[in-house]
Amino acid sequence: MMRSALYWASHYLLLALYVLFALFPLFWLVKVALTPNELLYSEGIRLWPSRISAEHFRFVLAHSDFPLYFRNSLIVSSATAVIVALVSGACGYGLSRFVFRGKSLLVALLLITQMFPLVMLVAPMFRLLAPLGLTNSLTGLVIVYTAFNAPFATFLMQSFFDGIPRELEEAAMIDGATRFGAFLHILLPLTLPGIAATGGFVFTAAWSELLFALMLISSAQASTFPVGLLSFVSKFSVDFGQMMAAGVLALIPACLFFLFIQRYLVRGLTAGAVKG
Amino acid sequence: MRRAPWLATTVLSVALASSATASAMTLKLVEVITSPERTETLRGIVKSFEDANPDVHVEIISLPWGPSFEKFATMVAAGDTPDVVEMPDTWLALYVNNGALESLEPYLKSWVHTAELNQRTLQLARVIRNTAYMLPYGFYLRALYYNKKLFAAAGIGAAPKTLDEFVATSKKISALPGKYGYCLRGGAGGVNAWMMFGALGSGSDTFFRSDGTSTFTDPGWIKGFSALADLYKSGLAPKDSVNWGYNDIVAGFYSGTCAMIDNDPDALIAISERMKPDEYGVSPWIKGAGGKSFPTIGYGGWSMFANSKHKDAAWKLIATLDGVPGNLAWNRRIGALPIYAAAATDPMYADTKFKGWFDELADPNVVPMIMPMDLRAWALFASSVVPRSSQSVLLGQLTVPEMAQQWAQIMTKAKQSQK
Amino acid sequence: MGADHDEGEAEPEVSATGRRLLRLAEPYFYSAPVLLLIVGVMLIPLSVGLSYAFRDIQLLDPFSGGFVGLDHFRELAADASFSAALRHTLVWTIVTVALQFILGLVLALLLNREFPGRRLTQALVFLPWAVPTFLVGLDWAWLFNPVVGPLPSWLFALHVTRDANNLLSDPATALIGPIVAAVWWGIPFFAITALAALQSIPRDLYEAAAIDGAGVFKQFRSITLPLLAPTIIITILLRTVWVANFADLIVVMTNGGPADSSQTVASYVFTAAFRRLDFGYASAIAAVLLLLLFAYGLAILSLRRRLLHRYS
Repeated sequence: MMRSALYWASHYLLLALYVLFALFPLFWLVKVALTPNELLYSEGIRLWPSRISAEHFRFVLAHSDFPLYFRNSLIVSSATAVIVALVSGACGYGLSRFVFRGKSLLVALLLITQMFPLVMLVAPMFRLLAPLGLTNSLTGLVIVYTAFNAPFATFLMQSFFDGIPRELEEAAMIDGATRFGAFLHILLPLTLPGIAATGGFVFTAAWSELLFALMLISSAQASTFPVGLLSFVSKFSVDFGQMMAAGVLALIPACLFFLFIQRYLVRGLTAGAVKG
Repeated sequence: MRRAPWLATTVLSVALASSATASAMTLKLVEVITSPERTETLRGIVKSFEDANPDVHVEIISLPWGPSFEKFATMVAAGDTPDVVEMPDTWLALYVNNGALESLEPYLKSWVHTAELNQRTLQLARVIRNTAYMLPYGFYLRALYYNKKLFAAAGIGAAPKTLDEFVATSKKISALPGKYGYCLRGGAGGVNAWMMFGALGSGSDTFFRSDGTSTFTDPGWIKGFSALADLYKSGLAPKDSVNWGYNDIVAGFYSGTCAMIDNDPDALIAISERMKPDEYGVSPWIKGAGGKSFPTIGYGGWSMFANSKHKDAAWKLIATLDGVPGNLAWNRRIGALPIYAAAATDPMYADTKFKGWFDELADPNVVPMIMPMDLRAWALFASSVVPRSSQSVLLGQLTVPEMAQQWAQIMTKAKQSQK
Repeated sequence: MGADHDEGEAEPEVSATGRRLLRLAEPYFYSAPVLLLIVGVMLIPLSVGLSYAFRDIQLLDPFSGGFVGLDHFRELAADASFSAALRHTLVWTIVTVALQFILGLVLALLLNREFPGRRLTQALVFLPWAVPTFLVGLDWAWLFNPVVGPLPSWLFALHVTRDANNLLSDPATALIGPIVAAVWWGIPFFAITALAALQSIPRDLYEAAAIDGAGVFKQFRSITLPLLAPTIIITILLRTVWVANFADLIVVMTNGGPADSSQTVASYVFTAAFRRLDFGYASAIAAVLLLLLFAYGLAILSLRRRLLHRYS
């Protein structure tokens, strides 16, 4: 298609602005993290310090359990993503393929869960989980995160399944396949990108969650990444350089992961053709 | 029948195993004012305790300071309580009045070091119900930090000694472009400054009249409050300082944005790492009406929970933390004033920067002021009401007498419900 | 496997009614895990939490818990901070969602064309979504801080602000900080959703329109917008509920201050619960918020039904 030079010029300009806007705050974190303490205030506003130093990173790595936090977050986020994919896939399938009594009640309940500030649940949840021994444990956290993410994931899954005509499975079942077999061999391959996309969203959400990780877990052994980072940035001391270095370290795995999966997010959502 | 010997062996081995583990005890220690350096020091002292008591293991839980208040409250409310906890002075009333803490009096009676503690230690330990519910590890006394470089640039020779000199000094420094006289703490933790200035205006540190009503509405207190508010309103403090917390005022000081802060000796550590010794000084807090000065005194300490299952071991842990070597190591890290009378001669305190505080303690006209932290409602008042209402005053949305009236009402009610 | 294999089985056959019952029960089996999870982990604690609204629950006072009826709600009605919080919530929600949507949609439109470097560009502009929200808040708070951040002096140099002070300390501008941070973080979500929806519009529609002589804007108005409308409208409306409940950035960046000038209802719940430790009052505030959003949700559902009706 023929487009004017003006069109393309403004196209690239706008994109450049977006990229700048997206990356600048992250660039600033890195810049301050690399600025040695003596220059932090005198060169506070320069775009790049006159001398860079790795002292903050060295300090953070020596004084924190970042590998442990990273491992805990990885366990919790992966487990949550997998379990959510399974249970929300099942529920989304049920909502998509069946009409049953109580369906609208179920949908209403799922919607209600999205409507209130989660902070209200902290105290009652603590009281409920403590006697079950699920506080201070990664298992408890996975259960909580799964419940939080399941409703949104269910709606996503439902829309993916809605996009595949029912006739395909029904044809397979007439030929002798069970419903589960039809799901496995027909529906699943077609919606796999969408399911993977949902898993990606859930993983990212579980990775960044702070409030419940902070309130439900007190031992360092079970702390996740955001909690570890919080200890660093709200400790009783004044150190912007260290805080930002901790922030940069916390971001690297999340950003790398997201860079990798974002392409599949778009593809997956498109394949599922997110319809109203 | 054939299973019986097997069963018996199993039962016996289980019994043996559990009795073996019964003698290995685990104590839970929670620290709340956490930083990597403090945790490291704490671990060292705890290790010496474990070495001396091989059958006891101590699990240290370090809460990030920012959300520590709510995090610890949530833990306690759900029954996840420690044996020993680091207790900031502002939290004490809350936990004592809910019956959570164990009295340390019986242990102090038989402790060998009790006699070596300086007089203030026990006085402050007993501030609630005249019973020691915690054993302090150190004191935080306010003094005046000032930036010598900025003073020189403004042509000021010495640190101000009175409120009038303070205001005059601030005016001269604020005349320098981009500089301000006072690093005001308008956000969290600003209550100390309000109390100090109020007392300067009133000439006394009495918070309540004999009938239990608050003195905040007295003209003297209002004059003191107004002096602080005017510092901000006449531009002698940075405009952003209305929202400043601890980190911001210390950063403001060592970045040379404002020339004076009121703070405790623990800020010395952060400041000495970023400023050269000849760039700043510490001076006793300023005097006001009647030639008296009222720097606030606070403390941190260790408390034992009343539901601890290992009270004797918990006391031994506290005794180690607050024992002579432990306490000195701890205070060297955190920079608080010592609890032992003899420690004043330790080389760390002989450092000239600490001289400001020891001068204060030696001066009869300096009266360390204990804020009414024994009131159950104080924690909420200091952390919620004061920042909100004082910010309204600084921003011109509320007048000082109105604020004083609000505060007096709350304080009077708190005092009367405490009876 | 199918009906054919039933003959000759050693086990007793499942009766016809049995099979019908199983088939009727099927959807319930599929929905059971999610239902159990949300009832157990969210709805039961929610009901307990809501019941606190009618009781005096001080977190640390084991003797509190007495029934106080509508006292908290009466206090709420008279609470000036709460009415201010309601106003701020409106501003916060509407501005944030509007900006997230518009900027996200424009970005999706820009990314919907093939051009060299598109994959890399897409990856980079979606990055903000990967940052944990409290780190977003801290990062932007540092950017707005005159001591360690560049924005105050740049905004002053560009004559956008009157001085080089911290936006977050001025009650008139305090809410702008969290809004900017929320927009920065939320654009990728809208962009990804919109891009997916855009890419499902068949290309030939555009080609046909181009052949008919329609320009870029005309194509947008007559093809893109109508086909996108149902998805986008539902996304916006759902997102609005989410943003209204979103307190992290405000708590981290301004704590609702100075003097409650950036407090929203959601952040007020947090403050009441965790600073005042008054869970009864916090629950009352949350109950009001829940009620408002519930009414809003009902409106969404009826709108969704009408849209589906019109476009299917």
